[in-house]
Amino acid sequence: MSSKGLRARGLRARITAVFALGALALSVALAGATYELTRQSLLDERERAAVRAAYFDAALIRQGLGGDDPDLAEVLRSLDTGETRRPLIRRDGQWFARTADDGLTEAVPQRLQRLVEQGTAAVQRVSLRAEPALVVGVPLQEGATYYELTELSELRDTLTVLATVLGLVALVTTLAGAGVGWWASRRVLRPLGNVASAAGSIASGDFTARVGRDRDPDLDKLAVAFNRMVDEVSARSEADRRFAADVSHELRSPLQTLSAATSVLDRRRDQLDDRSAAAVALLTDEVARFESLVTDLLELARSDRAAERRPTDVAALTRGVAESRGLPPAVLEVTNLDGAAPGVDEPTAVLEIDPRRFEQLLVNLIDNAGKHGGGVVRIGLSLGKDAVTLEVDDEGPGVPVEERDLVFDRFARGRAASARGGSEGTGLGLALVLQHTQAHRGTVLVTDRPGGGARFRVTLPGRPS
Amino acid sequence: MPRLLIVEDDDRIRLSLRLALEDEGYSVRDVPTAEAGLAEHRAHPADLVLVDLMLPGMDGFDCIRAMRRLGDVPIVVVSARDDTHDVVAALEAGADDYVVKPVAVKELSARLRALRRRASGSGEDAPKVRRFGEIELRPEAGEVLLGDEQVHLTRTEFRLLCELADQTGRVLSRQQLLDRVWGYDVYGDERLVDVHIGRLRRKVERDPANPAHVLTVRGLGYKLSP
Repeated sequence: MSSKGLRARGLRARITAVFALGALALSVALAGATYELTRQSLLDERERAAVRAAYFDAALIRQGLGGDDPDLAEVLRSLDTGETRRPLIRRDGQWFARTADDGLTEAVPQRLQRLVEQGTAAVQRVSLRAEPALVVGVPLQEGATYYELTELSELRDTLTVLATVLGLVALVTTLAGAGVGWWASRRVLRPLGNVASAAGSIASGDFTARVGRDRDPDLDKLAVAFNRMVDEVSARSEADRRFAADVSHELRSPLQTLSAATSVLDRRRDQLDDRSAAAVALLTDEVARFESLVTDLLELARSDRAAERRPTDVAALTRGVAESRGLPPAVLEVTNLDGAAPGVDEPTAVLEIDPRRFEQLLVNLIDNAGKHGGGVVRIGLSLGKDAVTLEVDDEGPGVPVEERDLVFDRFARGRAASARGGSEGTGLGLALVLQHTQAHRGTVLVTDRPGGGARFRVTLPGRPS
Repeated sequence: MPRLLIVEDDDRIRLSLRLALEDEGYSVRDVPTAEAGLAEHRAHPADLVLVDLMLPGMDGFDCIRAMRRLGDVPIVVVSARDDTHDVVAALEAGADDYVVKPVAVKELSARLRALRRRASGSGEDAPKVRRFGEIELRPEAGEVLLGDEQVHLTRTEFRLLCELADQTGRVLSRQQLLDRVWGYDVYGDERLVDVHIGRLRRKVERDPANPAHVLTVRGLGYKLSP
């Protein structure tokens, strides 16, 4: 695992990995030392035992060689060597063994033989038929030497078992280390998790969320600082909200008077002279625009609130809005993805969205197409189990690539509108579309419609994230 | 000429609304406080009432509750406040509709006309008396009985029940109900329907928390179950 990969996996995985690696290193070192010490001490002991046995056997043979013409094979047979010891006698350059076994004599190294023939007893570890063995050489008398081969395979088996056990212990220790790391990291990171979930609630508009105080003084500092920050932000946001509400009220009341009074004038337009009638017409139009401007501004001012999601039949809502904006039913294309619960005769799906925001978003896109794109030619609605994609197409000049982000800015109007003096719309419609989309944590973008014109595509997750 | 009472503390709004609504064919009386409004309504019962929420002295919510105790006159809130909290509280207090200032006179007039409409009781072939469990609906007499007792519904609640009864067992979406009961031809506020359904349930259901007849169909709307 590269360190980059670990970093991508997060703090918790890293802590766990460090604990596991630490436990692994420690247990491998301990297991290695234990194995080596045990091996040495067992080998030494076996060697001593083998040497003792060889000297004992050599003494017996020396006695047996006492006669004039001793039968060496008989002498060898008389030795009680058990299964693991193989005696050999070399006399006058000739080998004598209990059985005719060539492998035995070849296992005795030449250097050892020379040493023993010079009168020095010696021990050497050798390989006997690919098995570990020990050969002990003892000089008997002039021209005769005694060798005893001791098989060590039993010792090797013991050591294999030991190595297996130690390996298992190392593995378990490593896993335990990882477990401790996982547990410890969870304990360490829990306060961070609490802060993260509180921050999440706050981000979605719940300013009552706070982090619980911690007994640990270091962590408590974090909780206190975080809570103080939330208090500040919440107070400021509340002040903003109250300001917006106050402004809202202060603007709405005179507008109501203006609106009602102009409607009285407008009703009598034909009784007025031409100049007054023209002035009243202007007044009526501008009051209407002023109204929608204030409404949009107030909407924008509170759009940072989270979406009020509720189960909504998106297709029916879209159909209703399209109808109310005077669009022919053929404009609407509804497709069902994922085979989500189909309606009786039309595709439909109940998704959790904010119907008020969705309705405004759709109305604004339809109005935008009407103002800048010569009217809506298609509304595409793709309903999935967890998301809805809305496309509003027009046949206008489209939106140049360099303006595609700008159109969602407040008071940004299409070039055509600017050329006309921007007398239509509030300049806030697409900014509201963006805000409503963001309130759902969705996306909105504008592309080219195949065949000319602009296509606004809004994708909203159909469940709270 | 339908008599309309305006309760609004802002003199200019009151005067402009009176002028505009007189143009729409109403006989308008206007008062600046809730107390004066109640006195006026007692002395000369109105056919329709417009109420502002922020009033000096008794506030709009209490005014609506007091008017509701006097009878089932349709009440429309005209307020600058558009918080969900205010909308729901006003509807719970007994208002029939809620519009946010500034409202175009044409729109307001359409709302008032819709509230004045009688229960349709649409089909002529529809039975005169319909029963849903213990609920007995008599569209012609404008009466509803729960068991043997007469239930007092406001005009809007009664029309809501009739619209659901006309389509017994079928789901009506909130938008359809807004269209049929409140006369919204554009997208209207679904909270209107939800709060009125709640009010209706409290009156005609034995256990309003677990309704047996006025049922919610998740994401689609409401239906009346026989």
